[in-house]
Amino acid sequence: MAAETMTVEVAQASAAGLKAIGAGLAVGLSGFGAGIGEMGIGAAAMGAVAENKDMFGIALLFTVLPETIVIFGLVVALLLMFQ
Amino acid sequence: MFQPESMSRLLIVASKQQLEPVITELYRMNIFHIDDYIEKGDDEWEGFRIGMPLAGADVTSAALVKIRSIASAFGISKDDISESEHSSILELKRRIEQDLPAIAEEVEKLLANRNKLESATKEYEQKIDSLRPFTDAPAPLELLQGFDTISFIAGYAKEPVNLSVPHEKWESPSKTSNLTILAVKNSDVSTAERELLDFQFQKIQIPQESGSASQVIQEYEQKIRELKKEIAGISAQMETIKNRHEFFLMSSEEFLTGDVEQAEAPLRFATSEHAFSVTGWVPSSKVSKVFENMDKVCAGKVYVSELDVEDYNEMPPVEYHNPDFAHPTELFMDLYSRPRYTELDPSLLMAIVFPIMFGLILGDVGYGAVLLVMSLGLRSLVRGSEAGMQLIAILRNCSISSIFFGIFFAEIFGFSLPWEPFWLSRHINIGGSGAAEHGVAAAEHVSHIPQLLVLSIWIGILHITLARLWGVRNAAVMDKGHHRSLKMFANIGWIMVMWGILIAIWANFAIPLMPDLSGTPELFAGLNISTITGVVILVLGLALIARENVLDLMEVPTIISNVLSYTRLIAVGLSSVAIAMVTNFIAIDMIINPQLANLSIVGIVLIIAGLVVFLFGHTLNTALGLLGGGLHPLRLHYVEFFTKFYRGGGKKYSPFGMIRKLTEQN
Repeated sequence: MAAETMTVEVAQASAAGLKAIGAGLAVGLSGFGAGIGEMGIGAAAMGAVAENKDMFGIALLFTVLPETIVIFGLVVALLLMFQ
Repeated sequence: MFQPESMSRLLIVASKQQLEPVITELYRMNIFHIDDYIEKGDDEWEGFRIGMPLAGADVTSAALVKIRSIASAFGISKDDISESEHSSILELKRRIEQDLPAIAEEVEKLLANRNKLESATKEYEQKIDSLRPFTDAPAPLELLQGFDTISFIAGYAKEPVNLSVPHEKWESPSKTSNLTILAVKNSDVSTAERELLDFQFQKIQIPQESGSASQVIQEYEQKIRELKKEIAGISAQMETIKNRHEFFLMSSEEFLTGDVEQAEAPLRFATSEHAFSVTGWVPSSKVSKVFENMDKVCAGKVYVSELDVEDYNEMPPVEYHNPDFAHPTELFMDLYSRPRYTELDPSLLMAIVFPIMFGLILGDVGYGAVLLVMSLGLRSLVRGSEAGMQLIAILRNCSISSIFFGIFFAEIFGFSLPWEPFWLSRHINIGGSGAAEHGVAAAEHVSHIPQLLVLSIWIGILHITLARLWGVRNAAVMDKGHHRSLKMFANIGWIMVMWGILIAIWANFAIPLMPDLSGTPELFAGLNISTITGVVILVLGLALIARENVLDLMEVPTIISNVLSYTRLIAVGLSSVAIAMVTNFIAIDMIINPQLANLSIVGIVLIIAGLVVFLFGHTLNTALGLLGGGLHPLRLHYVEFFTKFYRGGGKKYSPFGMIRKLTEQN
């Protein structure tokens, strides 16, 4: 049985590994979510800028709004890795 | 500072004889922002109509249109002209009358000529295109047409053609489709064409030329060369005209633009049969100048008076009033929306906080230096564009801040500088212990990521608290009646909710760099005094928010997400540190160093490849850092900061007049 052969070192290593996987999932999934969010906004923003160049500032702003989610994911990952 | 330029409203009334001197003087002063007169049928303005343009406006406009069309044909603009000399107005007027028609005529003639030649060139090119398939035709072109009894059909077919009617054919096989020329009797043409459809036959016209196609093509190519030479001659002629008259054209464009604007000014005035009146805004410090100058030019026959302003919220145009240091940031304010007259203008604060945020994100001496050099180098490129200059100035401030924070964090292109980071370190251990041997030795240092995150949260807390305090101030000045106090207290409520949550958190968890209140004595049910204080403040705050609008309570969770949003300052910064370190690790530790230890020819190639990786990685990271470091602070200002207090929607102050670059003031 795996439980019987598990030493302290193995347990520590797998804990560290799980931490890394968790951090990866946090950044990866939140990035995926933000990407989906930015997809629609980005397309619409491009359209708006094509119609009226003055919209560029606002369009850019709206496009980066969902990025907050990635930042949260990144923060979680950083806390997992460095705490 | 924090307030737009103070404005006064002036009324100018005079008889129509004074119309021209008044307009000329207002235009010369370039400080009077005209409020356009709109005929609304008010009792107060009964009998007043919108004025008529001054005499000669149409002639001037016509000349202006002519000049602009010449300028666009030459592709010259005002920015390309050096501003070292100025034309005198009298000289310009004389030349516009004498020289302009001749220049315009010459340019028109040249342009028409060039167009004609260009279209002739196109025609020949088309003819060559239609001739090209027949270059290896079996017979001269004149033999392929013009017979009484036989017709020729030419075209491309996918496969060899076979017809049921008597015919002769010539095929030139090629990979994709065969050029086929068929000779059939006139009576069989329709049958042949129908049958050809089965072979997916694409018919092409046989050109009406004589001789062999390649010969004709050569002739035409010769003609095109001649035409092109002529066009080049005309272009050279136009170039000389352009060089000779560039300055005259642009300075007279400026002069006439001014003339037209002045001539059309009465369209913005209220006029009666014998008098006119105009209202507008002038910076308060310059009011006396307007009084004096008006009096002087009209010899006292003018009435100027300062009007009372009923509602400062809406009416006055807004001109920024900031120290020079904050001018570049006004670009970001205008991008969002110009502040209203009575509201706080946050440009100065933004001018200070924005570069600090940028530096926190991209705190690296190397990247900062690259951006600083870039901003200095780009200066000459954007000359003439004000927004460009503002952007460059912001970039310069940001890169200086980046260098400063780079010294603070002891970082240069992801390597560590030979001193310990001050206070908090963000060096990450990339490449493990192996990396410690080369350059990245400081990677072994302890990094203070949680502390840095808390620091960024502190920035968020203070930034948002300040925003709410400004919200109180704006509500106090801009709102009226019952709503005013509700709004002020609601803003205080938001501050209380935020700090209440903070105290409750501090009371239960020890967080680095934040007060630890978990040791305060317990009161009841396991809750200590601090927790209870925090909750009480929180509830009071909620009550204040609910008094203004109960639905706003829905927004309360945004307090947490807004504050946490500031952690991006560190998170984005760390990602740029990580990219830099990974680039260094791949380029130096994985590619270059092993080869240096054991030099060979393949090794040298690999070292060059390593250098390419190094340059590519850091170029990419500079671009990402510029984008991330610029966009994220901007977003923090627009979304997290401005939404708490900023209203915007102010009218831009655009005084009647112009800054003359090429002409002298008359």
